[in-house]
Amino acid sequence: MVSQVVKVTNEQGMHMRPASLFCQTVTPFSSDVKVVFNGTAYDAKSVMMLMSACIKCGAEIEIQCDGPDEAEALKKAVELVESGLGD
Amino acid sequence: MKITDLLKKEGILLNCPATDRESAIDALIDLHSKVGNLNDAAAFKEAILAREEKGSTAIGMGIAVPHGKSAAVKTAGLTAITIPSGIDYKSLDGNPSNLFFMIAAPDTAADTHLEVLSKLMTLLMDQSFAKKLVEAKTADEFLKVIDDKEAEKDKETSAKAAPAAKPSVKKLVGVTACPTGIAHTFMAAEALELKAKELGIDIKVEKDGSAGAKDVLTAKEIEEADAVIVACDKNIDMGRFNGKPVIITSTKEAIHNPENLIKKATDGDVSIYHHSGKISASSEATNESAGRQAYKHLMNGVSHMLPFVIGGGILIAIAFLLDDFSIDPSNFGSNTPVAAWFKSIGGTAFGFMLPILAGFIAQSIADRPGLAVGFVGGALASTGATFVSPGGDVPSAFLGALVAGFAAGYLVRFMERICEKLPQALEGIKPVLIYPLCGIFIIGIVMCAINPIVGALNAWITALLEGMGTGSMVVLGILLGAMMATDMGGPLNKAAYAFGLASLANQNETGHMIMAAIMVGGMVPPIAIALATIFFKNKFTPAERKSGPVNFIMGLCFITEGAIPFAAADPIRVIPSLMVGSGVAGALSMAFKCTLRAPHGGIFVFPVVGNVAMYLVALLIGSVAGCFMLGLLKKNIED
Repeated sequence: MVSQVVKVTNEQGMHMRPASLFCQTVTPFSSDVKVVFNGTAYDAKSVMMLMSACIKCGAEIEIQCDGPDEAEALKKAVELVESGLGD
Repeated sequence: MKITDLLKKEGILLNCPATDRESAIDALIDLHSKVGNLNDAAAFKEAILAREEKGSTAIGMGIAVPHGKSAAVKTAGLTAITIPSGIDYKSLDGNPSNLFFMIAAPDTAADTHLEVLSKLMTLLMDQSFAKKLVEAKTADEFLKVIDDKEAEKDKETSAKAAPAAKPSVKKLVGVTACPTGIAHTFMAAEALELKAKELGIDIKVEKDGSAGAKDVLTAKEIEEADAVIVACDKNIDMGRFNGKPVIITSTKEAIHNPENLIKKATDGDVSIYHHSGKISASSEATNESAGRQAYKHLMNGVSHMLPFVIGGGILIAIAFLLDDFSIDPSNFGSNTPVAAWFKSIGGTAFGFMLPILAGFIAQSIADRPGLAVGFVGGALASTGATFVSPGGDVPSAFLGALVAGFAAGYLVRFMERICEKLPQALEGIKPVLIYPLCGIFIIGIVMCAINPIVGALNAWITALLEGMGTGSMVVLGILLGAMMATDMGGPLNKAAYAFGLASLANQNETGHMIMAAIMVGGMVPPIAIALATIFFKNKFTPAERKSGPVNFIMGLCFITEGAIPFAAADPIRVIPSLMVGSGVAGALSMAFKCTLRAPHGGIFVFPVVGNVAMYLVALLIGSVAGCFMLGLLKKNIED
């Protein structure tokens, strides 16, 4: 498993659009992708799960990827969050 | 925040007749208008549609959550419609949507929008819940389903939060501090950290060393900690631990018994510390013995005094080094202008020695109000004021300053107790008028009374020491050297060292010889051990052998504590060996009449040692003797 901690920088946090975008970005990978926030792991392939985490601007999340293409998945996911989740 | 705070009965429309996306959105916006959440329905619709353009808000499972953040929104609100037959809302999963929530959020920076969304999602993840909503017959039923689900979720979260408050991984914080702040502070911290790691416990230890505090604990870390371990031989700032479970102990305990301390701390069997408003760690609330408290007060004074003695002592020694003895032997040290300069600067620093000692003993006892009173008491001990001759007559010196420090501390505490009876209105003038005025007045009387007595005692001791023949000086050297090696930084070592400081304060030949014997006695143990790890390899474990060379440096720097790990591992054999080595060194230093004007510094003050060549010889012979004894007494380590 690989993981990395990133900071959510877009002003509105992980609201619906960034969540959908994040979800759509990681879904094609066969690895399991999870977002750990506040001690809870959320399945990043479920928009609802992601949104239910209530990740606000400035929050630090840990993205965990586990599977055959974990490195690539993590790279994409981190890039996305760092670029401001499309906001 | 509750969903039902935002979703009103009037904001719900069941079995909505809408047939496509736009009409569903219109219906939801109409509801918002009806409830009164909007300023401008048309502008809000634009915001909603603009959002839909960027990507559908249908999140699958038949649910869509169109939302908009806009200035057209007056108050944050939620509306809902159900379309049991379902319409195409361009859902991610391609299925028709039948349950719609619309979030309207005002255009502010608040995270309301995100919180509502998060809350809603948490509920909607349960598919049976969504199904119940769609099947609801009335708006009341719809709301009740949400309410019930929300209550259930809240219960789950709080149930989850409760055990989370007591994490399985225990968190501890600690503080270590010792009077010199060189060795014990860090050894205690290391012992705690290593043991905690071994036990899988999270610990952060603040080291209040001589160069300031390292790894200072933050308020948050203290807050999060399950318990606090304070392993200090001097007073530290305890106010920050108020209300926390605190174990107060010594650095010695932390070095030798870290496991016990950590277990005790993690078992939760620790009493809560209540700060008494004093910096003092040794307030009556703690059950420390009187002797230990006195030791701690004394060491608070000594540790504050040391820098003055070291700086001043070395500068004075340099003055003697640079001076020309032949010009005027009676004025040696100030004959040349350069020497005189060094001597007067050093002398000024030296002059603070006794006031600082007494002041900080008193501060340790009575907190800040004690400082001024003790300081003045120490200064009076130094001038030697008496009733007959207030300007100074018989200095009671080091002993007098000790008395002054303790007298001042307890005097101020006593005044504090008496002043408790004063009306509240006088509270403010206690520290600015009553304590300083009465305290200094009384300490003045006390010092004038005891100066003649202690002064005479002082003179007697000095005369006794000076009258000693070489033979008795050698005996004294053996005794002091051996004391330095007995407990390496413990009370006996400190007693010998304090005696050295006191002799140094007398500023005479005998005093300097005593100091020299003490320092060499303190330098021998680590060096003897370092030598032994080289010459008697089979008597030490590989780990001990590896740390041997470091002891050379420790010894040369006069950090006796370096020998502690070895002594602790095999005290019955190591300590006597080291006592022999240090005793020999002390005796030789005395026999060679080596002198030292600085109380610390090890090899770095050798340039100012009198008869330095023979001093080195004393150090070498002492170390070799100690090494030899170690080889003789220690048993071979079996592989």
